[in-house]
Amino acid sequence: MIHRRSAIGTAAAALFVGRAMAQTGDTPTVAIQKFAAAGITDILSAKITQREKTTRFRGLFKTFFDIPAIGRFVLGRFARATSADDMAKFQALFEDVVVYTWTRRFGEYDGQTLSVRDSVPDGDEGAIVNSAIVGKDGQSLAVAWRTRKRATGHQIVDVIIEGVSMAITYRNEYATVIQQNGGMSGLLAQLKKQVDELAAKLDS
Amino acid sequence: MIAVVCASIVAGCASKPPKSEPDARAVFKENNDRLEPFNRAMFGVDQALDAVIIRPISWTYREVVPAPARRGVTNFLRNLRTPITFANDLLQGEVKRAGFTLGRFLINTTAGIGGLSDVAADRGLPYHYEDFGQTLAVWGVKEQTYLYVPILGPTGIRDGFGLAVDNFGFDPVTWYTYADNPQWVNWAYFGALLVDLKSGTMEATDELKKSSIDYYAALRSAYQQNRAKEIRNGAPPPIEEIDGEDPFAKNSDPSQTATSTVQ
Repeated sequence: MIHRRSAIGTAAAALFVGRAMAQTGDTPTVAIQKFAAAGITDILSAKITQREKTTRFRGLFKTFFDIPAIGRFVLGRFARATSADDMAKFQALFEDVVVYTWTRRFGEYDGQTLSVRDSVPDGDEGAIVNSAIVGKDGQSLAVAWRTRKRATGHQIVDVIIEGVSMAITYRNEYATVIQQNGGMSGLLAQLKKQVDELAAKLDS
Repeated sequence: MIAVVCASIVAGCASKPPKSEPDARAVFKENNDRLEPFNRAMFGVDQALDAVIIRPISWTYREVVPAPARRGVTNFLRNLRTPITFANDLLQGEVKRAGFTLGRFLINTTAGIGGLSDVAADRGLPYHYEDFGQTLAVWGVKEQTYLYVPILGPTGIRDGFGLAVDNFGFDPVTWYTYADNPQWVNWAYFGALLVDLKSGTMEATDELKKSSIDYYAALRSAYQQNRAKEIRNGAPPPIEEIDGEDPFAKNSDPSQTATSTVQ
């Protein structure tokens, strides 16, 4: 029974990820709209378990976000002296941190929609897409997406909510941890602990 | 200024890393937290007070008072504090924005029933907030250092000074108590501001706390970024180049541009 259920789950996840593997979008705006639409239809509004939502979100996250670029940015100046082995460990843990912290709140979804306002050029073949998450009560939250052009289309490299950048916040926080709590190995150990705790809560 | 503060708080200052550690120095500069040991201690006090007093009150307020009524309180307090934004708009030379502020006040005080409803926002005059800390920033005064004050939360030397100027100079409730009116009005006002602020930011700070491994450092970064956005009047944040390159560039392989090492 358990076997069959997990087999179905895996097949569904493969199907979902397969679908999402297509181009993210020809323009930054289209990429953001596709990401939001897929997130709302296939994950937030879907009647599936939390674990399944996590699996699906990971697929979506990997397709629409350039996670290696974000990871390198987050480590910043410390990336230079990090071994390839530690870098790979960091990237995997960082991906887990974001996936688990985002999916934890999916249960609170209450019909919010994403409305894209405009898009302005940014950096190397990139853009900042300004949008708002609008709730049923009309209250809105300003969210900006920083994108860069990649082989598979436009990918997200940062999310900025009310002026606070996710990438910069992680970068400043992790730099402080590296400085004050035993360097890169200290950071990896603390991230591992955090990921284990978040994963344990996934089924509760 | 910093020297004076440090002298009064023995061992409360973080020491600047030596030149031989360029990465450590860069982090030190970026965090702009020269009072970090002291601030972390104050943060501990704040978190303890928050757990036993402020959070239970804010939480109860959120649970008991319906959202539209809470929004009414937020609108009322914002409208009441209009002189602060208006004065600072003018001090920053933002005459047009000062006009918006005045227009909002007139519309919301009348059509918005004493400021309870933000009808001006629906008519194309959205809320914005200015304070003397932002004015000083516009005038070119850099933030000396981050400062964490229990109950009040994250601020800085410049912004804390700005808060005092706003409070004593431009706040209508302070003017009211200057005129021999009862002091409790000031305390009730302060309490209302605090509960309104904390209940409004509770979700965001809870989220940050759960997604971070060093909550103090994450909150400091989020505060500094939000503050920078207020000073820029909401413009998108400029991207900081690393070694003259887009940090998110396609082939930004840091090992190719190694210039220093970390121990």
